[in-house]
Amino acid sequence: MSGVQAPGVYEGAANVIAAGMLLLEFGMLRQALVRDQIRLYMAQSALISVLAIVIAADRNLPDLYALAALSAALKVVAVPLVLRRLLRRAGLDDEETGVAGSNTLSPATAVLAGIVLAAFGFFCFGSLGIHGPGAPALALALAAAMVLVSFGLMIVRRDVASQAIGFFSLENAISLASLVVASGLPFILETGFLFDLLVAVVVFGMLIRAHHSRAESLSTADLTKLQG
Amino acid sequence: MGCAVSAALPIPVIQLLQVLTIAIGAPGVTGVIAKVEARLQGRRGPRIRQPYYDLAKLFRKEALAPQNASWFFLAAPVIAVTAYLTIPLLIPVLTTYGLPLGYMGDILGGGFLLSLASFVIATAALETGSPYAQLGSSRAKTFSAITEPVVLFVVFTVALLTGTDLPYALAATVRSSAGQIIRPAHLLAAAALFMVILLETGRIPVETHTGTNEFGMIEEARSFEHSGPFLALIRWGSELKQLILYTILADVFLAPWGLASTQHVGSVLLAIVALLAKAAAVGCVVAVIDNSFAKLRLFKITEFAAGAFLLAVLGVFTLYLGGG
Repeated sequence: MSGVQAPGVYEGAANVIAAGMLLLEFGMLRQALVRDQIRLYMAQSALISVLAIVIAADRNLPDLYALAALSAALKVVAVPLVLRRLLRRAGLDDEETGVAGSNTLSPATAVLAGIVLAAFGFFCFGSLGIHGPGAPALALALAAAMVLVSFGLMIVRRDVASQAIGFFSLENAISLASLVVASGLPFILETGFLFDLLVAVVVFGMLIRAHHSRAESLSTADLTKLQG
Repeated sequence: MGCAVSAALPIPVIQLLQVLTIAIGAPGVTGVIAKVEARLQGRRGPRIRQPYYDLAKLFRKEALAPQNASWFFLAAPVIAVTAYLTIPLLIPVLTTYGLPLGYMGDILGGGFLLSLASFVIATAALETGSPYAQLGSSRAKTFSAITEPVVLFVVFTVALLTGTDLPYALAATVRSSAGQIIRPAHLLAAAALFMVILLETGRIPVETHTGTNEFGMIEEARSFEHSGPFLALIRWGSELKQLILYTILADVFLAPWGLASTQHVGSVLLAIVALLAKAAAVGCVVAVIDNSFAKLRLFKITEFAAGAFLLAVLGVFTLYLGGG
């Protein structure tokens, strides 16, 4: 038998978590309701904390435990809370026009287009041949695929809230890549990246509120009209 | 007793036992699923032996055929059951070692037999002129065409993992180390196969298994015009198909443990019990899914298939960088 050799258990676990994150990204891509997208984002953020713990245990990097806790507090609890509050303020907590069904593609088509994007990112990064001492090339390529799929999510959606979630999950993809490639980064640098997310949350919060107060909806389709 | 347990069974007998286990165990697994499902809904539910009584009753009844149907209408159930009973010869049902006839066909061979059986049933349904049976067979063929790419990608994953496409080889690979189980390609392919199995066995979220609403029927509608022993054969056939697919999932992908590695009577008997227990466990999961999800609208089934396709394709992708 000359099959592809199995990696070790730790590397396998890291790869499985990365693959799970990519699957959740696809879930966000096809999910119609913003409410459920936020839930998927929470699950994805929880997975990246688990991955940080796995890497910390494998390579004996105690810093990463703290990073995992901080990242979980921020991305699993704080950001979804803020997003939900913003949506409730805008009165768009439930299935309203402009938010639900802001897909420009049918879910099956969106998933197939996402597969093409993911394949592009995956094989591009695979052919770069980045082999660090402890960087599973597969998890890195999965992160690249995730970046492209979250861009795709931001493109095919027509409401600001979904686009914000697409952007936040893009940040998750980049965290995944940085965890895999440079897990030994100084702790202060890693937390610095994490606080970039807070800036993004503030910016998107402003955008959502400003857009809603001017257009009475979250749909970006209204932005194509010129207002005199 | 000790002497009897360690006595070696001849190989042809073990091979025959594989077929008999599937043939006799299949209605029982359906019974277990129905029972668990009823219990989860707070009902008492039918006896686990009920599918056997149903089959026995149908075998005693008179068979009728529509006036213009040809001989093929009556031959189809027999051909289908024959195809289903051939598959247990090809897959690891009871043993870890390949049995002589096990190398007649690979995974694709088994797939061909499964689609041959569903093809003859669909053709027989077309013979009847009954609109519901025809609609059912047309839908069944449409959806099996949609799931075909998923099955192919699962087979590709198996081929990349093992370097061959024999089900015995994959089961042996999975048993060889923990690293083989936790690799993403294996998990993704197993999940995709599970989704295909839900679709192929007509379970929620694709089809209501016990429903009487003809508009939502896919597989169930095809047997509308069959009666008596021929209906019994079709029912038995779909139960066989279900147990075969569960066996492939459990014995090849998820839990290839408990299989007999020797020819001793004791280990073969243990393997029979283990197989039925594993199939019942898969059935319990299916029953929970049956009770926790709503049936998808007909045109949403493509989205379900697209999800399975995504899993299978990602499985193949992850293998290309060597790490999957």
